Amino acid sequence: MTAAAGSFGAFVAQARAAGRLVVQPRMGFSDTATSRAGLLATKRVAATTVGTLTIDSYTRVGDVAAADRALAAGVPLNGFPIVSHGAERTAAVLDGVRDTGFPVQVRHGSARPQEIVRTSLAAGLTATEGGPVSYCLPYSRMPLREAVGHWSRTAEILAAAPGGGAHVETFGGCMLGQLCPPSMLVAISVLEGLFFAQHGLRSVSLSYAQQVDEEQDEEAVHALRRLAAELLPGVDWHVVVYTYMGLYPKTPHGAAAVLEASARLAVRSGAARLIVKTEAEAWRIPTIAENTAALRLAAEVAAATRWADADPDPADTTVHTEARALVMAVLGLADTVAEALPEAFRLGYLDVPYCLHPDNAGRATGEIDPTGRLRWADTGSLPFRAGPATAGRGPTSTGLLAALSHLQRRYDRVPATAGAVDRPVLGVQMTITAPGPTTTQPGYLPPSPPEHLASPVTRAALRVQQQVLTAARSFLAGEEFIELLPPVIGPVTDPGVRGSKQLDVDYYGHRYKLMTSGILYKQASLLAFDKLFFIAPNVRAEPVETCNTRRHLAEFHQIDVEISGGTRADARRLAERLLVHVVRHVLRTAGDELTALGRDPVVFAELLREPFDVLTHTEAVAALHDLQYPQSADAEIEWEGEELLSHKARRPFFVTDYPKGSRGFYDRENPERPGTLRNFDLIVPGGYGELVSGSERESDYATIVTRMRETGENPAKYKWYLDMVRDGIPASAGFGMGLERLTRFLTGLDSVWQVNAYPKVPGLVAP
Amino acid sequence: MMMSPLSGEPVVISGTSSDSHTWNLVYLQLLVREIGHPVLNLGPCVPDDLLVAECARARPRLVVISTVNGHGFTDAVRVAPRLRARPELAGTPLVIGGKLGIHGDDGTAAARRDQLLAAGFDRVYAETELAAFADDLAQLRARVAS
Repeated sequence: MTAAAGSFGAFVAQARAAGRLVVQPRMGFSDTATSRAGLLATKRVAATTVGTLTIDSYTRVGDVAAADRALAAGVPLNGFPIVSHGAERTAAVLDGVRDTGFPVQVRHGSARPQEIVRTSLAAGLTATEGGPVSYCLPYSRMPLREAVGHWSRTAEILAAAPGGGAHVETFGGCMLGQLCPPSMLVAISVLEGLFFAQHGLRSVSLSYAQQVDEEQDEEAVHALRRLAAELLPGVDWHVVVYTYMGLYPKTPHGAAAVLEASARLAVRSGAARLIVKTEAEAWRIPTIAENTAALRLAAEVAAATRWADADPDPADTTVHTEARALVMAVLGLADTVAEALPEAFRLGYLDVPYCLHPDNAGRATGEIDPTGRLRWADTGSLPFRAGPATAGRGPTSTGLLAALSHLQRRYDRVPATAGAVDRPVLGVQMTITAPGPTTTQPGYLPPSPPEHLASPVTRAALRVQQQVLTAARSFLAGEEFIELLPPVIGPVTDPGVRGSKQLDVDYYGHRYKLMTSGILYKQASLLAFDKLFFIAPNVRAEPVETCNTRRHLAEFHQIDVEISGGTRADARRLAERLLVHVVRHVLRTAGDELTALGRDPVVFAELLREPFDVLTHTEAVAALHDLQYPQSADAEIEWEGEELLSHKARRPFFVTDYPKGSRGFYDRENPERPGTLRNFDLIVPGGYGELVSGSERESDYATIVTRMRETGENPAKYKWYLDMVRDGIPASAGFGMGLERLTRFLTGLDSVWQVNAYPKVPGLVAP
Repeated sequence: MMMSPLSGEPVVISGTSSDSHTWNLVYLQLLVREIGHPVLNLGPCVPDDLLVAECARARPRLVVISTVNGHGFTDAVRVAPRLRARPELAGTPLVIGGKLGIHGDDGTAAARRDQLLAAGFDRVYAETELAAFADDLAQLRARVAS
């Protein structure tokens, strides 16, 4: 159905037919002069605009007396007190401003809007917005049935307006602004649209508030259009998109980027109107100039974006399937939407995550999944089920904060332009928006030392690393571990390092080695202390082909821990607790650095839930075979396989029981399962791979000598070590946690060299 | 989300009568539960009468008022004496936190805190004092458990 000529609906339809997106501010001032100036400024923007009168919060909750008093005393309100001003004064504000080329809409937020609507209509304002659910549950304690009653009467008043009735926009596409999965937003918007249509309104708009994933948002608007086409025949309707309504970016570039994304969303998904936000949003009520700047930017971006096809995408996306299930389940409850809505909330068919209203069931929860989409964490009593992997899990308080600020952090990160021209390498890093590293990039290598050291990325990463060191030391000291300073050279060093070569130094005519790990000295130090650790520099001439794995450095550091009399379980549990402690500390103390690096703390929410999962080597090999990866069952997990498992994981996990040939002689063989080791690796999610390697140690002299021979080592070389072992050393367990790898995981940087001040990438000669 | 399965008298969490913000209350509910307390979350826009009645009924181990809309100070100074006037709530620990004025920290924060303490609050947490709040919750948990 086409809208009545000269109406709000007709204005939007004409713009849509001409390929222009209608843009509209959220503007509201208490005095008439500023209100008029704001409307005129909106009208003069070189774009297709609609004016807005947003009502103040006293009027919106029905406390007109308080609005009267504020007005009389000259105290500014946070919106236009339309009832206090009255229809005549309001009409005077609009005189000569509003016309068929510039409609004005009243926005209010009231669960009992009759007075506001009557005054609006008397002033000739026939476009408004709201809804029985969307203005009750999030902002009011009014029982839902009562709000439905008030909105029924309001809809009747609006339907009887002269000129074929008024236009009403549903606010159902917002619902708390964030963390409500899109299918629920679409369903409530459709149901409120149907509610208005059943009360005789012939022109409605259906809202959808931008969420956290651009592709998912497009699917949601297509789903909304598809359901409207199916369920609102004979009604003039269009879709209105709201720029993000949750925690808004604080930087000008971040605020502009979200606004631009919302304009692209509106055009690409076939919405007709966009309600913008400004760069002042995170701080205060925006000025007229900030509003008009936002309108101009949105219109420019919209004009440069290709429109969606006239018909909505017929694909059965998850959003569409879930939203349709919700709408149909509700419509099946009663003859009218007005009767069905309170019942649907009582049964939990409709359930808004985190909404504390007494009439909301509060069993369903939403979360941001590792790919950045909003999904159901728990579907409660909704008429469908989400994947079993997530059902029944709510967030932690830390996880909730991370999820709430997910979009803000993503857009507030350092802009892509900083240094991108002369530092193409960093430019690539900075523009990555997906969490975690992407593909290996040949040539992705350190710049010159001065450039590397001066880079804001390096400096932020090193500040994070400082917090890692602080946290690790205080945690281990608290557990009564003593820190020893490691040796740098010795007659022998750890041979059990896959593929890498040892580097020699001439020590008074003897060929000494640079330490590849501190293992031999850790075992020796057990003669002095029961619990000890090094933060040790290690040098390993890794094979040149590891220069592109992004997690190898020829010179690096380990947090190297050993526990006298410890078991593998003790070492594993300590590694787990150490990691969780470091992550918590860094989130608390280096939030600014993580934000600047674009690292979203939401990725750590899963990690903070101990204990981590455990896979045996055999199970890891089977998992790789399932992924079509040809991993040998008798060998070390290959780099690519490890990275693949890491990408598939949501949480850190241990791999245990490696085959004997894959590690050094000091890792103890399992007496119950000969051929396998009592060892473990810890793999972190997101493609960052192995972070920790550890084991129970072999302390028996004869066994060590045998194991040395099996691995091709000459026991004679290890004289000082074997002499000591023969005299007796304690049994122990321990691990090494890679410091640069840990810092890279925390910062989310693409390559491990980025977190080292003086990086030596395997095969490259560097200072 | 509304009630916790943990046992014992709850920690009551509430917004003030004029404050419709929800996320602060949801966050506090998760935090308080993680520290081991049962929670009764009254939600946003809680009228004074309802807050007093619910506290008198639930006999909470702690009442936490959270506010972020800038008008919470006025609401809180008004409602605290009403809670204290109920004999069963005279000794109940009562705390408030969040944004306590419309101008941020403009030098009047100390005066506002004193007024809140005089009105009946036991502790006033500034926006930046979440860690202190969590520590106090942990201590309360230890006292309740012993």
